[in-house]
Amino acid sequence: MSRAANRGLSISGRTWRRIRQGVQVVALLVFVAVFIYTNAQRPERFWADLFSRLDPLLMLTASVAGRVLVSGIALAGITVVLTLLFGRVWCGWLCPLGTLLEWFSPRRPRGKGPAESWRAAKYLVLFAILLAALLGNLTLLVLDPITILNRTLATTVWPALRYAVVQAEAFLYQFQFLWGPLDAVHTTIVQPLFQEVQPVFGLAFLMALLFGGLVALNWWAERFWCRYLCPLGGLLGLLSKLSLVRRQVDDACAQCGRCSHQCPTGTINPRDSFRSDPAECIVCFDCITDCSREGIGFRWQVPAWKPAAWRSYDPSRRQTLVTLGATVAGVALAGVEPVSQRQPATLIRPPGADPHDFSALCVRCAACVRICPTQGLQPSLFEGGIQNTLTPRLVPRLGYCSFSCNACGQVCPTGAIPPLGLEEKQLVPIGLASIDQDRCLPWAHNIPCIVCEEACPVADKAIQLEEVEARNALGETVLLQRPRVIKELCIGCGICEYQCPMGGESAVRVYAPTEAGGFLGSVSGG
Amino acid sequence: MNNKQSHGGTTRRQFVRLLAAAGLGTALAACGDSGTPASQEASTGRREAPTPSAGTAYLSVARGPEPKAITQAALAALGGIERFVKQGDEVIVKPNICVDYRTYEYGATTNPDVVAALVELCLGAGAKRVRVMDLPFGGGAESAYARSGIADAVAAAGGQMEIMNRAKFRETDIPQGQDISSWPVYQDVLTADVLINVPVAKHHNLARLSLGAKNLLGVILKPSQIHANLPQRIADLSSLIRPTLTVVDAVRTLMAHGPTGGNLDDVVLANTVIASHDLVAADAYAATLFDLSGEQVPYIKAGAEMGLGTLDLAAIRIEQVPVG
Repeated sequence: MSRAANRGLSISGRTWRRIRQGVQVVALLVFVAVFIYTNAQRPERFWADLFSRLDPLLMLTASVAGRVLVSGIALAGITVVLTLLFGRVWCGWLCPLGTLLEWFSPRRPRGKGPAESWRAAKYLVLFAILLAALLGNLTLLVLDPITILNRTLATTVWPALRYAVVQAEAFLYQFQFLWGPLDAVHTTIVQPLFQEVQPVFGLAFLMALLFGGLVALNWWAERFWCRYLCPLGGLLGLLSKLSLVRRQVDDACAQCGRCSHQCPTGTINPRDSFRSDPAECIVCFDCITDCSREGIGFRWQVPAWKPAAWRSYDPSRRQTLVTLGATVAGVALAGVEPVSQRQPATLIRPPGADPHDFSALCVRCAACVRICPTQGLQPSLFEGGIQNTLTPRLVPRLGYCSFSCNACGQVCPTGAIPPLGLEEKQLVPIGLASIDQDRCLPWAHNIPCIVCEEACPVADKAIQLEEVEARNALGETVLLQRPRVIKELCIGCGICEYQCPMGGESAVRVYAPTEAGGFLGSVSGG
Repeated sequence: MNNKQSHGGTTRRQFVRLLAAAGLGTALAACGDSGTPASQEASTGRREAPTPSAGTAYLSVARGPEPKAITQAALAALGGIERFVKQGDEVIVKPNICVDYRTYEYGATTNPDVVAALVELCLGAGAKRVRVMDLPFGGGAESAYARSGIADAVAAAGGQMEIMNRAKFRETDIPQGQDISSWPVYQDVLTADVLINVPVAKHHNLARLSLGAKNLLGVILKPSQIHANLPQRIADLSSLIRPTLTVVDAVRTLMAHGPTGGNLDDVVLANTVIASHDLVAADAYAATLFDLSGEQVPYIKAGAEMGLGTLDLAAIRIEQVPVG
């Protein structure tokens, strides 16, 4: 077996690097292709959830915090097994965020980076996430690399790209003679790629800044995020201390020091005979590519296997205890936030989501935000407290919960949004509409309008009209139809709030569902 | 010493970067409001709807269990589709696909067989291209087209579904407008050689009924703002858009909870198709299926008062065509 491995690894270092870079490109392309391909018309769970399910941190913590075995968790086993065999190959070969960070780095690293002791941070973040999950809290999963990348694509890169393309198109459409070719481009490329709705996100700039900051850290130290911060890297790093294939420095080593300059995670230590820490090594093979003497190999450890040593920078007992203590304090503080007592009026959750258990299953991956065809689903900031940061909420003024759509539940990787059938979803109240009689056109201004009633998708109409005669501003007698919400029928989809022609705030608004219950769904026979 | 960049100032690379950034910024700023540039006159490429020659009906009413057959019969009674569609014409068919909530059986969206029959007739008459489109207010166009059954029917008939492109709505003058003098309108609808308006006949609380003229709210932006003075604004829009032919689908009429429906109990099988070049007359006749007269539906009356057509069903030649 070790002969086979040796023969395999005797492929030149340059070739190995090519292969690795090829795998990276393929993995990133799959990630982006899935991101683009998945929309409300094609909520294909396997593809949409592929990377979330390969991510053992997401699968493990959601299962622990949600007290359920998340479906599809077995895929994460692939990553775990790969790591136990070869070390952090996920980080060096597959992670789409890692690949991007590798690409967006300075040609020649300038900074020397922070002290080695900072490497402990990723483990401490990991410990905090794991303990919080045990206590039913997933807030810190905002730091998972898959969620970071998906969220950034969904709320900044893709919407901004769409905006730029559509604006460029609109500019060209000013010239009538271009309409022929423009129509062809629009219907074959722009429309299928970017769909009908321009997404808008209140957090777009914030998300872009955070991501930009993450990339900028590369100028301080190469793969800064992967080295010091990434909690998934931490988890896989711990597993890598047990891996069966590890980097070895042989007697042939000429101590030239090239490899330690090349290493993107800076784990090759010239003062330790150029050996490295399997927990920090991302198996990129850059070191063997540049080795002048073939003095390095990645070899099976089987006969003489033992766990890799705990390093001086690995978390100390003291650091760990402080972190765990802080985590307990943090989770306790989350319990002090008002959201744990009562659902905030404007925190409308996606259909079928249990408002109480939601945050224990939601991994903040933004898959629902990405797929929502009206873009009414928005990542929260602090509407649900710090603990619900970046969980989805419906903002009906920006986009309603489309009656014929159940896509968010189809792609949610953990079941935080349950995969309801369409008819089932249509009977789940997510909120309750309320008419502001001081602003509504027929109520406050005696002007005819029934837009909310017209759009209401409920078969028996959850908004009903009362006919009255009234005098308008000109002194004329007009027949008015004043809307009222029927609590027993309203599902809180928010299309009334979205369509209301009042400026700014709508004159009909959806709030959290009534605590009194009593939803009927239908008043006519069926 | 001999540094290439030592001649001071900006390098080309920096300059190009700066220019690109500035250009992009300016371009974005400049097209910020290009959705509706200064209003323009309607550049109508459309032929006037031909009035019927002697011997053909002004308005036809076909009845029968086969939606496709009665659509064909209604057109035949008007003198055939050739009266409206010429060789090489660009045709737009505008059904009512207002929401993606339900399938056509619920009477909220136009019957797919009626639409498909018209597409086939137009292509048979030599139309260069037949496009079918609407701008739903509930759900997206793609899903509404699919759920209504119209996407499949049109594809099978050889037509094309078009998802309306925001860039092609233009603020357009409405010369005859009494309440509104301009509105953002989908330009292709104005420039096509032939526009066939195919509403489904249904209940509507504010308008009383949703018929042909009301159906034109699907080719404009900001439809909810039309509702403040709905009858006159619909009539004003009709005076601009002027469909070549109106074919009212009254196969399954939605009698209550319109315009979106959802109860089959509210749907009556009327098995009727009404066709005329006169939008007002077609709507007035369709109103009778709901035991109303054109007079009683304010937007139909407003249209007649603007001279867009006639309400006087007794004065026109109506041909009743029973089929099967």
